[in-house]
Amino acid sequence: MKIATFTRVSVLLAFAAALFAAEPRKILPYPYTQEDLPNGLRLITVPTDYANIVAVYIVVQTGSRNEVEPGHTGFAHLFEHLMFRGTPQYPSEKYNQTLNRIGAASNASTYNDKTIYYTTFSKEDLETVLSMEADRFQNLKYAEPEFKTESLAVLGEYNKNSANPFSKLNEALYDTAYVRHTYKHTAMGFLKDIQDMPNQYEYSIKFFDRYYRPEYTTILVAGDAKPKAVRTLVDKYWGKWKRGTYHPDIPVEPPQDAPRTVHVDWPSPTLPLLMIGYKGPAYNDSTPDTAALDALASLAFSSNSELYQKLVVKEQKADALFAGAPTEVDPGLFEISARIKQAADLDYVRDQILATVQHFSEHPVDAAKLDQVRKRLRYESALRMDNSDAIAGILAQYVALKRTPATMNNLFDRYAGLTPEDIQKTAAKYLTEKNRTIATLTGGAK
Amino acid sequence: MTPKSCTLFCPSRRLRGRLTAAFFTTLVLGTGAFAQMRAIALPSKSPLVTFRIVFTTGAAADPADKPGLAYLTAQMLGDAGSKDLTYRQIVEAMFPMATSVSVQVDKEMTSFGGTTHIENLEPYYKLLRGMLLEPGWREDDFRRVKDASINAIKVGLRGNNDEELGKEVLYQTIYQDTPYGHYNGGSVGGLEKITLDDVKAFYQAQYTQTRCVLGIAGGYPPQFLDRMKSDFKAALPLNGGFQWRMSQPDAPERTRVEIVDKDTRSVAFSLGYPIAITRAADDYAALLLVSSYLGQHRMSSGVLYGSMREKRGLNYGDYAYIEYFPRGMFLMEPPQNLARHYQIFQVWIRPVEPPTAKFALRLALYQLDQLNRNGMTQEAFERTREFLSKYVNVLTKSKRAELGYAIDSNFYLTNPYNEFLKAQLAKLTLADVNRVIKSYIRTDRLVIAIVSKNGEALKRQLTSDDASPMTYNSPKPQAILDEDKIVERRPLHLKPEDIVVRPVDQVFQ
Repeated sequence: MKIATFTRVSVLLAFAAALFAAEPRKILPYPYTQEDLPNGLRLITVPTDYANIVAVYIVVQTGSRNEVEPGHTGFAHLFEHLMFRGTPQYPSEKYNQTLNRIGAASNASTYNDKTIYYTTFSKEDLETVLSMEADRFQNLKYAEPEFKTESLAVLGEYNKNSANPFSKLNEALYDTAYVRHTYKHTAMGFLKDIQDMPNQYEYSIKFFDRYYRPEYTTILVAGDAKPKAVRTLVDKYWGKWKRGTYHPDIPVEPPQDAPRTVHVDWPSPTLPLLMIGYKGPAYNDSTPDTAALDALASLAFSSNSELYQKLVVKEQKADALFAGAPTEVDPGLFEISARIKQAADLDYVRDQILATVQHFSEHPVDAAKLDQVRKRLRYESALRMDNSDAIAGILAQYVALKRTPATMNNLFDRYAGLTPEDIQKTAAKYLTEKNRTIATLTGGAK
Repeated sequence: MTPKSCTLFCPSRRLRGRLTAAFFTTLVLGTGAFAQMRAIALPSKSPLVTFRIVFTTGAAADPADKPGLAYLTAQMLGDAGSKDLTYRQIVEAMFPMATSVSVQVDKEMTSFGGTTHIENLEPYYKLLRGMLLEPGWREDDFRRVKDASINAIKVGLRGNNDEELGKEVLYQTIYQDTPYGHYNGGSVGGLEKITLDDVKAFYQAQYTQTRCVLGIAGGYPPQFLDRMKSDFKAALPLNGGFQWRMSQPDAPERTRVEIVDKDTRSVAFSLGYPIAITRAADDYAALLLVSSYLGQHRMSSGVLYGSMREKRGLNYGDYAYIEYFPRGMFLMEPPQNLARHYQIFQVWIRPVEPPTAKFALRLALYQLDQLNRNGMTQEAFERTREFLSKYVNVLTKSKRAELGYAIDSNFYLTNPYNEFLKAQLAKLTLADVNRVIKSYIRTDRLVIAIVSKNGEALKRQLTSDDASPMTYNSPKPQAILDEDKIVERRPLHLKPEDIVVRPVDQVFQ
């Protein structure tokens, strides 16, 4: 079923001329087709002006959020690895060699709400890629010894990440901020569960059977490709994939009733780190909340903000300060992070951040500054879309939330409609003391 | 290694003959220096305009007692105020345009980059021009960027990223006592010594027209490039004088190991040796093909990846390189504008669990031995050649990347990278590649950089010829177990005097 098609004109040039015309164009300057197969698989094709290259992003709406059973965290990420372990038709060596022959760049990433598999290649190899991907999504087969070996590679990934104190602090923040919801653990999972993965072969098969199903999956094709031809190939190779029946019961996080804190002692020297998380809303493109918090992160904590200029540029007490709004399927954290130059200034920097949060909750922002944020968001988006792989990569993040690129346009409509009062009201609603978790990390002696 | 005598770099007639006339309009002197400012333009109908402004100077021009001067100078241009505008005013002006100026300092290239929407071309260019041509040289900016540069070493490199630390220690050790022999970001002591006057003097001497390459791509207006040229010509001195260059560094007499001792969960390795191959060399494509076969960056197709991660689960990945590739843990594709006259062959072994460290090192060396002994098969040769011939399209997929490669091609005096590499690959034979393997792939006279806790204990392990048997958490095919029996006893030929254990706080100090 084709549910959204735009007239294709010389969009890029029109876009160039009118990014800020009185009636702003949709933020996504490309027409796209969106179609659902009878089995529930969704196909989105975005022909771009960039010749020869095609990017295929396969978005599975399964991430660490879906890891609902205790002791089994990190399985969505483990599957990112296992999916490269092969099928009867394409054992892993043949799969790798085929990708190698076509000169493709291929990898995958796992997040809280999604796992994304991506391949970028020359247009003449589209059928090869779509058929190989269809094969592994439907016929993945790995023996227990291979499973055990791959689980060690996951531990290797944890090990290489573990050298970074920000990773550790992030783990501690989420573990403390959440009591029941699966956002309590990061996409990597708890270390003890990763270490136990080799003993969970049977569970892994159950996990695949639950989530690697068409109704969880969207194929996003961007680049030098024609929607009809792509649909024909997807019908041919993905049409027989069977719909599943599993619906996870994601635990609901109870409202937080008091502020929380956690501290991490890092064994080696490092600068003190601070992360403050406030329970925010679930991603929403039909109310101002997500857009308002995103704008707030920029207004209050970006390099252009008063606080950044004070702490990083003028007083030089911190050398990093940034914030991000939650864009998760379920209520996520509004995060503020800072790196402080002297341990003695940790409390000062924390208090300055808290005072800034308080200020934005009590006062409307300057309308001209809000306008600047709106402009920045639109230009940022335009600047990032400079090749087909980047376009697919951006859209995949939105598709993982709502299964449609339309949500990107909707969110930008929300940005356009934001008022200073929206920002203040949203800050006052979510950035409250009882919604707050403060995580700190300090380094040990050398 | 001893310091090398200096020789002038002289591009061969063969290379100059290879240039496509329409691509470059540059005048190359017999010394290899350029007689004038260069411009590389890739106009298109895109609504975006990308700048890459490169100066062919960098960390190799740092005074011996002030490593980090090139780096701090570049930061004072790209991350500080201009004569007319404070840093804050620049940040505020760039904010709504979503633009910035990126800074990258390598041994022989310093690059400033940025992309703007065509609607903001004029204001963005005005800011960029002011930053690069009329720097503000304010003391508070200097204090901030200097602190940030010192923390980048103390915290960013030593504290947070064992893998990058290992790679940079590898480079520093290989190039010890040469102009390449220090980290591009300098050392803590060197940075502390540098004054704002040092920075101004370095700028005056090094940022000249003859070292300047103006790169621009996208939908800029027809006269725009001429305006840029005249702006840069008016502001920059013509010539900074002759730039003396070191000659090709030798490998060490014996294999050397540098263990960086720090409290960390796992053991990270990087190993390598200097090679006389750059993109300007005849054997570049052949050696690139060999390194791709051995370990294409962040891909599962390489021999090392297959042997170490896929079959044995030793770690997260294992790769091989013939060009400098910083930040590889964050990047899927190589950054551009890191062109150098000297490169190394490098193997990157991602962190392994401490009990498997010695086996992992032995296995990587065993794979290099095997490659040297057996060469590649016709099938592997053809497959890897097909890969590279197509993958180069992915590497040059954006105008920004294409422009970066074009500037590097100008440095190496080759045709545009995409066309150059495809042509070179098309000419290759298996015999060429296997000859190159015999010449360049070896396991003696290496430098091995390791980041690990309990450095002294690891040193004792590495100097012993004891077996380092692997145990697995699952049954393995007999072929792997048989291979392990060979690998676990592969001699490392290391004596205690070949291994230095250095506490992490002494590295880049």
